[in-house]
Amino acid sequence: MKIIIDGKEIVAEVGTSVLRAAIDSGVFIPHLCDHPDLEAVGGCRLCSVEVEGIEEVVPSCKTIVQEGMVVKVNSPKADKIRKMAMELILASHPAECTGCPKYGKCELQSMYQYMGVGPERWRMKSRTIANDDSNPLIQHLFTRCVRCGRCIRACRDLRGVKVLDFQRTKDGLRVGTDNGVSLKEAGCKFCGACIEVCPTGSIMDAIGIIKEDVSYRDSVVPCTSACPASIDIPRYIRYIKDGDFAKAIAVVREKVPFPKVLGSVCSHVCEDDCKRNELGNPISICKLKRAAAVHDHGAWKKNVKRSNPTGKKVAVIGGGPAGLTAAYYLVKKGHVVTVIEENEKVGGQCRYGIPAYRLPDELLDNEIADILEEGVQLITGAKADTPKALLEKGYDAVLVSCGTHQGTMLPLKGNDLEGVYVNTDFLKNARLSAPLAIGENVMVLGGGNVAYDCARTALRLGAKKVYIACLENTDQMTATKDEIEEGQEEGVILHSAHSFLRIVGDTKVEGVELQKVDKFYFDENRRPVIELSEGTKEIILVDNVIFAVGQKPAGTDTMGLELINNAYVKTNDNMETSMEGVFAAGDVVTGTKSVIIAIEAGRKSAEEIDKYLGGNGDISEQLVYKESPNSYIGPCPGFGDLERSKPKLLNSNIRKSSFEVVEKTFEVDTAKCEASRCLQCDLRLNITKPKLWNEY
Amino acid sequence: MKKIETDVIVVAAGLSGLAASIAAAESGAEVVAFEKANTTGGAANMAMGPLGIGSSIQKNQMVPLTPGEAFRKHMFYTHYTVDARLVRDYYFKSGSTIDWLMDMGVEFFGASRAFGAPEATRAYSDGEFTWHIVKPEGGGAPGPRVAATMIKRMSEKASELDVEIMLETPVKRIIMEDGKAVGVIAKDKNGNEIEARAKAVIIATGGFGDNPEMIKEETVYEFGKTIFNFAIPGMKGEGIKMAWEAGAGRTETKMELMYQLPDNMNHFILDGAFRQPCLWVNKNGHRFMPEDQIANTTHTGNAITAQPGMVAYTIFDSKLLRKYKKKGPDIISHVHPHDLYDHFDAQWEKDLADGYEPIAQADTIEELAEKAGIDVAGLLEQVQEYNDMCAEGYDEIFEKERQYMQPIEKGPFYCCRQNVGAYGSYGGILINHKTEVMTQDSKVIPGLYAVGTDACNIYGDSYTFTLSGNTMGFCLNSGRIAGENAAAAVQGF
Repeated sequence: MKIIIDGKEIVAEVGTSVLRAAIDSGVFIPHLCDHPDLEAVGGCRLCSVEVEGIEEVVPSCKTIVQEGMVVKVNSPKADKIRKMAMELILASHPAECTGCPKYGKCELQSMYQYMGVGPERWRMKSRTIANDDSNPLIQHLFTRCVRCGRCIRACRDLRGVKVLDFQRTKDGLRVGTDNGVSLKEAGCKFCGACIEVCPTGSIMDAIGIIKEDVSYRDSVVPCTSACPASIDIPRYIRYIKDGDFAKAIAVVREKVPFPKVLGSVCSHVCEDDCKRNELGNPISICKLKRAAAVHDHGAWKKNVKRSNPTGKKVAVIGGGPAGLTAAYYLVKKGHVVTVIEENEKVGGQCRYGIPAYRLPDELLDNEIADILEEGVQLITGAKADTPKALLEKGYDAVLVSCGTHQGTMLPLKGNDLEGVYVNTDFLKNARLSAPLAIGENVMVLGGGNVAYDCARTALRLGAKKVYIACLENTDQMTATKDEIEEGQEEGVILHSAHSFLRIVGDTKVEGVELQKVDKFYFDENRRPVIELSEGTKEIILVDNVIFAVGQKPAGTDTMGLELINNAYVKTNDNMETSMEGVFAAGDVVTGTKSVIIAIEAGRKSAEEIDKYLGGNGDISEQLVYKESPNSYIGPCPGFGDLERSKPKLLNSNIRKSSFEVVEKTFEVDTAKCEASRCLQCDLRLNITKPKLWNEY
Repeated sequence: MKKIETDVIVVAAGLSGLAASIAAAESGAEVVAFEKANTTGGAANMAMGPLGIGSSIQKNQMVPLTPGEAFRKHMFYTHYTVDARLVRDYYFKSGSTIDWLMDMGVEFFGASRAFGAPEATRAYSDGEFTWHIVKPEGGGAPGPRVAATMIKRMSEKASELDVEIMLETPVKRIIMEDGKAVGVIAKDKNGNEIEARAKAVIIATGGFGDNPEMIKEETVYEFGKTIFNFAIPGMKGEGIKMAWEAGAGRTETKMELMYQLPDNMNHFILDGAFRQPCLWVNKNGHRFMPEDQIANTTHTGNAITAQPGMVAYTIFDSKLLRKYKKKGPDIISHVHPHDLYDHFDAQWEKDLADGYEPIAQADTIEELAEKAGIDVAGLLEQVQEYNDMCAEGYDEIFEKERQYMQPIEKGPFYCCRQNVGAYGSYGGILINHKTEVMTQDSKVIPGLYAVGTDACNIYGDSYTFTLSGNTMGFCLNSGRIAGENAAAAVQGF
């Protein structure tokens, strides 16, 4: 269908409004209450136009096109109505934009730049309405509201949540909840659609949510941006909510080949950034991943992307999460990959560091099997040649990913006594069912998760009393809250904020002398400063001491690569070492980090190595069709108060005498229920951005 | 990473950046401007109009001020502490810049001034008719934001000249190679980095009015404590930091002072209502300036800075309020509503009820001082002395104009605290009169230019409020100078 706007013929679809038709064909008509995703209401009258044959000026958003319709935007009659409309809007809007964070992103600002409005129109009495920052995540600054009603339509029609409406107050019409209750009480789902469609700075993200130094997308969906591997978290949580675990796990697998491992032991930094924290507790993202992973029947495998053979050979030294991940993607890129592992089995820290009660062998084997199925070759129980020798043997590239398997000891008096162990030896031997001998009383030195791994393993090996001592106070400790709590339940005695002065004993460990720490911090040169509290020395009698104060790479000194601190392999931004064709990734580069960081390093190194071998470096894959999610999320009374589900734990008495997995996987219904707590922050990004005049 | 190559890169498309972009493009250069907002114009959308001297408008209006005279006034005002050559080039260009804008379709109301000094001090403190206030597109009277229409015209002009303006794409840093600026790294709204290379980079990001940490580091003020400036969102000082990082010399930075109430946007009626030559005192209850000078907001901001705690208090009584309501204000502000006092009671009652902290009302001076936090004895004594002088009809302390000598005697009394405010910051990047950025030892950094507020080092210790429209005037003209020079340098390659 054809219509004519200001003498220009444009093609319009049957049934669309004049405004939509104009915008779609690149003709700008001012508008404010209209939004591409919302039903037009014809409220603001800024889009008024003249139509030949109609006496009155009409709002173009509510006028449906008709064949041959002749529309005039630039007509004195329409100009007059538009000007009046703008004056009405501005009559109650503050005259000053200063201090308004929307400045520079404000549609009203762009509109007044386009329309040009005399200041007398701003000089009306401005209705000041106190800012309301009492709600989590969303702030209301209704002094700036122009009552276009977009937020109400978005909440009602786009989302079906229906908590916002126009409310009559003694100061006039205002947007708000019925009876003025808080958003939480009203049943708000904090999806942020109202924020997204507000053309002014009236409804905004609470202060601190939108971060200046990251992209808008990352601010809006903080979980995904926090995840080192950028897993599309809201997308898979949504599938879990709908009970579609196969699709959920395919989403996870688009970024990582270890969903079960991560579901068990991930450091889940995503949860720290989850916006639901502002309403109480975050979504239990990590545990949901595990719940979905146990239902993984491999449906994703049919979508795996595989390239033709390249004839290139890659050697991977060390089969931990970084090395296996790299191998997995490199094989799929058509290279022949051999993983050389010193231990009897691959898995790295996942197998020899993390205790079985957190990550059992079967689970690990299961996921590794999927990787091997792609054709990764393994050489285990063999020490790898040097990278140089491997290159000479005919490998086209080498990845060093041998982790940090050597525990460190502090230069403490008595550290050479019998009965002193380091974390790596202690944990690995326990895993190999050949545990190091321990007495009744054991003290672990260190305040991280590994210290807890050691302490809880010692309990399981029969120790009666297990202590943890660390310099940090409980808040500063790097161990997760869950670890500290579960350890306490099992009877671990924590001496946080304690310095260890010496290990007591003649030939054998007899005890550890501790002293309370007043203050522990890092000075401006990042050197630790410890201030001890006078008169608090005490000796705790123990039979064994286990150092859990860090670990470093073993054997890197003979690799012929440039190192940092004599142990860590130095790489550039492209993960290349000082030797051409040799790359490095994972803990051996970064020092001991998390499994998820190692996996991401594995991915990145696969990309770089593929590029080095002449590939395009693209390892991305789509394992499940990307559906557009249902944006009509519907009402849910009490949504804001929904409590975080907790997984069932094995009884602490049973668990401290066995290596059985402590934590139960969520039941299907619990998982669906927990996933339904997700705010689905990503839905906001699907809302269309109206085009401003300067973009035509 | 996406890569772009062009002749001239302009960092931010506010007023200065637009001027630079247009000037460079007019001189034949290919220009890409990066803007972090979704709109062009930055702070200028809030403004009224630029300075120009010797424009056709002034000639038609028979304004006698010449660029040379303005230059001498400026240099005398700044005690020759600033770059005379830059000031000279700016003023001599400013008249033609107004005509340049008119050629783009910008219309002006005429040449005006920001304020008129009281008669007795006119000889040395009067505002000059340099301020070209923009006519808004839809018609209407002069006032805040009318300059948005100028921005619209300039944006249209830029697009006509094929300047590519990349919106929502902030520049992160300047690429330096062999001591030369050769491009920038920008980030688009999806967080993707863009490497843009050019033969010249012009920085025009508008100062750091919205960056409390920088205000604290670079000036004597603390945002929200001793200064309540217009924190025009986005004015974060990135350009200044980028330039310093690239080796630019540092100059003293200042706040472009005025005064205002905290959160004045929500208390605008009161902000305007207390801008009167009534009784102004400091925390000790003492007067500190002739109140007839308060229309020079820069000087008043300076005076408030010099008081204990950097605050002042404005006081009037019921009789004066009645007079303001009936006859209008003694001094008319060009930014506040003309019918302020019609709305005074409503706003006052509401703010009192809400506990808006800077205001106080009391039936006695004693109680007023207590509520407002002014020294009680000091204020009592001062009011007595002031009222006595009012009765005499002569201010023997400061010689305030006699028609303003109106006593403070009939309760209830009204008091409002005045804080130091500012339009933004000025200065930071060392430039020469060609707007080329220089190192601390005055060596030009090839390829790097800085303009507008980021490089506005010509005001010395205080903004030249008397040569009205100066902020925008410098932005426009320094932008033009940079654009022309950068294009010329590019073509010389």
